[in-house]
Amino acid sequence: MIGCRLRLDAGASFAGRVAEFVLTLARTGTLHTRQAYWLRLAADEITTNIAQHGYGGRGGVIDLEGGVETDRVWVRVEDDAPPFDPTRYDPAPRLAADPALREEGGYGLLLALGRLDEFVYDRVGGRNRNILVMRRTPREGE
Amino acid sequence: MTLDAKMHIDEGTATIRLSGELDGRSAPRLNLLISDAVAAQVRRLVLLVSDVTYMSSAGIRCLLFAHQKLPRGAEIVLVGTRQEVAETIRMTGFDRTVVMQESVERESAEA
Repeated sequence: MIGCRLRLDAGASFAGRVAEFVLTLARTGTLHTRQAYWLRLAADEITTNIAQHGYGGRGGVIDLEGGVETDRVWVRVEDDAPPFDPTRYDPAPRLAADPALREEGGYGLLLALGRLDEFVYDRVGGRNRNILVMRRTPREGE
Repeated sequence: MTLDAKMHIDEGTATIRLSGELDGRSAPRLNLLISDAVAAQVRRLVLLVSDVTYMSSAGIRCLLFAHQKLPRGAEIVLVGTRQEVAETIRMTGFDRTVVMQESVERESAEA
C-alpha cells in the first residue's frame, strides 16, 4: 500500500492543499479523471463542512490520510469536533423547496457522498472518522 | 487554480465569462459580480462556463444567491457546462430552475 498524511488547520485556507493531496493520490492510484474529480470534491466538501460546522469557524485540527490499495484509493478524514455522521444528513426537504426560498447550506454533504463508491463514518477515540473510497478499475495492460 | 471572471452588461442581460475553479475561495468573486448585475437591474444572467473545470457546493450557493437576488422571473442561463459541473447542478436540483445550454454563439459573442 502507498500512503500519505496531511494535517490541516481548520482556521486557515486549506482547499488548495486538500486538492493537491487528493489529486496526487488519485494519480498514484491511476484513478480515471472522473473518479479523481469526485474524490477531490468529496474531500473538499467534507473538510469544509468540518471547518465551518464541526469547528464553527473557530479552527481546529483536520487530519487527512490517504492510501492506494490493489482495488481502491481511500482518503481518511479525522477531526476533534463534536460527533457528526454525514450519512444521517437528509437533503430531501431542502431539494424539494423552491430554489428562491432554499436555505444556503446543505449541498456540500449531498455532493460529497453522491459519487463515491463507498463512504464510512465512525467515531473512534473521541474523533470523527470519515473514510472516502473510490474503487480502482484495471486499465489496459494491468 | 483561481477563477477568472469578466462581466458584460447589455440591454438587461448580464453575461459573465468564467474560467478556472469555482470553489469556496473563488465564489465570493462571482457573488460580487452577481450583486453588480442585480444593482444594474438585469432580468437575465448568462454564465459562460465552458472553461470552469471544477465546481463545489460554493458554486451551487452562487446560483442560489443569484436566484434570491435577481427579480422573480429573471432567467439564469448556463452555457457550455462540463459534464461533472452539469452533474453537480442536477444533483442539487438546480437544473429545474436554470437553463442549461451546450453552446450559444450569440452568448459567446457578447462576453
